[in-house]
Amino acid sequence: MIMIAPTSELTPDQLARFIHSLGYEISIKETCYGANIEGDKDLIAKAVPKIRGLDPNRLFIKVRAYPIGDERRCRAHHGSRPGFNQLEKEWMDLPFIEAGLCAVESGEECPEKPKRKRLSVEKLIQIAEEENI
Amino acid sequence: MKIFIMPPNSLILYDLVERFGHQPLSVMGTLRERVSGREMESPPLNVTPADVTKGLKYAGIEVPSGIRGRMAVWGPMIDEAEAAIIMHDTPFTFGCVGCHRTNLLLMHLIRKKKIPTIEVNYPEDEEEGKIMVSKIKTFLEGLK
Repeated sequence: MIMIAPTSELTPDQLARFIHSLGYEISIKETCYGANIEGDKDLIAKAVPKIRGLDPNRLFIKVRAYPIGDERRCRAHHGSRPGFNQLEKEWMDLPFIEAGLCAVESGEECPEKPKRKRLSVEKLIQIAEEENI
Repeated sequence: MKIFIMPPNSLILYDLVERFGHQPLSVMGTLRERVSGREMESPPLNVTPADVTKGLKYAGIEVPSGIRGRMAVWGPMIDEAEAAIIMHDTPFTFGCVGCHRTNLLLMHLIRKKKIPTIEVNYPEDEEEGKIMVSKIKTFLEGLK
């Protein structure tokens, strides 16, 4: 499963056409979020780095349990998609991961931020009193 | 190295682990063999009564069958794992990763196994994303 980050200018159509142009004997399905590919493991292993090279920090790839067009999952057959909510959430977070990948590529130092402290009761009382004035 | 990822179906973690040269152990990979290898009794459910029995290795008989069923799939992955990445603050609690007790048990088993483990949080902005990715990269490079 190949997912395009929201910040990418690639479209699923461009992605699918690029994979077709590689000429490997694999199945390709264009989807709303990117594309699904399926086929011989060696061919997939060859194709993945090339696909990632199209937009390295904005294309994210993972294995999908169900085969392409499986009736238990495929929307065309009214299949259920219980994992979609997580994918949607992670899709929204992909720009943050992209920023992280760009930072590690450029060798940027990323020091950890100090943990947020909890608001003390005294401070809360002070704020509440300020609001009343 | 084989890296267990938590949540075990995370796109972000799967991609990062593979990108930095390791083999992610994901629930998708395990389930792929099940859903394509044999007929499931009740299609979108992936757990069979036999799995619930198999889960006894990881959770006691008094533990709900949902946890044991999940552990039948995820437990062998922990047995296989050589390192683990745990991502906290998952804002979604439904679907196959929606059982909080199973998630707690998984984390307990990972810590008990004493394999190299890193715990990070889901990023909420770009700064946190940079911190998370750099921590994971340093961790994975250190494993080689």
